[in-house]
Amino acid sequence: MEAQAKANILHDIVRKMGAGGAEITTEGWLDFVEAQNDGFKTGLAIGEKIPDFTLPDQRGAMRSWRDLTGPSGLLLVFSRSAGW
Amino acid sequence: MKAQGINAASITYDAREVLSAFSSAYKIEYPMLSDVGSKVIRAFGIFNTNIPPDHAFYGVPWPGEYLVAPDGTVRDKVFLPSYEHRASATEVIFRNCGVDNTGHGVEIKTTVVDASVTLSSDRCFAGQELGIALDLNVKPGWHLYGKPLPSNYRPTELVLSGPLVDHLTLELPAPQTKLMKALDETLPIYEGKVRAVGKLAIKWSPPIPAPFLLKIGPAIEADAHKIAGALRYQACSETVCEAPEEIRFELPLTIEKGVPSAPKPG
Repeated sequence: MEAQAKANILHDIVRKMGAGGAEITTEGWLDFVEAQNDGFKTGLAIGEKIPDFTLPDQRGAMRSWRDLTGPSGLLLVFSRSAGW
Repeated sequence: MKAQGINAASITYDAREVLSAFSSAYKIEYPMLSDVGSKVIRAFGIFNTNIPPDHAFYGVPWPGEYLVAPDGTVRDKVFLPSYEHRASATEVIFRNCGVDNTGHGVEIKTTVVDASVTLSSDRCFAGQELGIALDLNVKPGWHLYGKPLPSNYRPTELVLSGPLVDHLTLELPAPQTKLMKALDETLPIYEGKVRAVGKLAIKWSPPIPAPFLLKIGPAIEADAHKIAGALRYQACSETVCEAPEEIRFELPLTIEKGVPSAPKPG
């Protein structure tokens, strides 16, 4: 799918959602899902080292993955958003 | 996970205030990390490049999870082709830390084989993927069959069906080959204990009532469900072959109600 076509689909559906969603069609929704899934990547391979990082948590404390890991490891879940 | 010594954390592109509001509303105890600007999301190689920079979603990842070993290497990961489908955290734990004692499954006992079918969780959301295990304990003197197999025998197979099942991926381990002296035939067989671990993907269903989503398929109700299952096999000994069997069972699974959008911070 061409980048501009994907951008148009993504803007269109979010605009329609903002207006209550009544104008959204099933086909439009499926295109919206496909535009976001297109060429999906799964990132680091099994066996690769993760990059060092430190990020604030929900309480504002700075956390590095080294602090976060348990004795047998860390399940790191990447989600789209907790805000919408 | 705690019992296995594994901690959990989430990463999103949200501001800390958004995470704080979500965390309070849903009583989240694990660390929710704020990756504003998506630097870490990019460093993991999962920045969703389909989203244009002037869009509200700009910065989200293709969602998924990594199981990271204490030395910082990726031990396992689960990413599904559509963001509408997510793996249950229990799947990756089940696959890496063993399947004993989850207690979520069914036991099947016959005169020739004891079997159990175990799920990584007894509850999930529509569209999630769970871990599943099939354990067989074939009684001494008997064997079951693997593949490839002449058409006059039935290979061992687990089948799950019904409106909840999107797909089941479960491959049995490679069978042994054995010369059946009475038949003068070499066949792939299973004896003793056999374990197969795989994935059960549950069908996606609209999390919110929306007229435009109804055409996609019937909604899966948040409720206690039962998945119809069948274990197919044929048991033989050196001297006797029983007729092909199909043992039917029901696998309980609760589909949870989708949660509403997070409250606005403040």
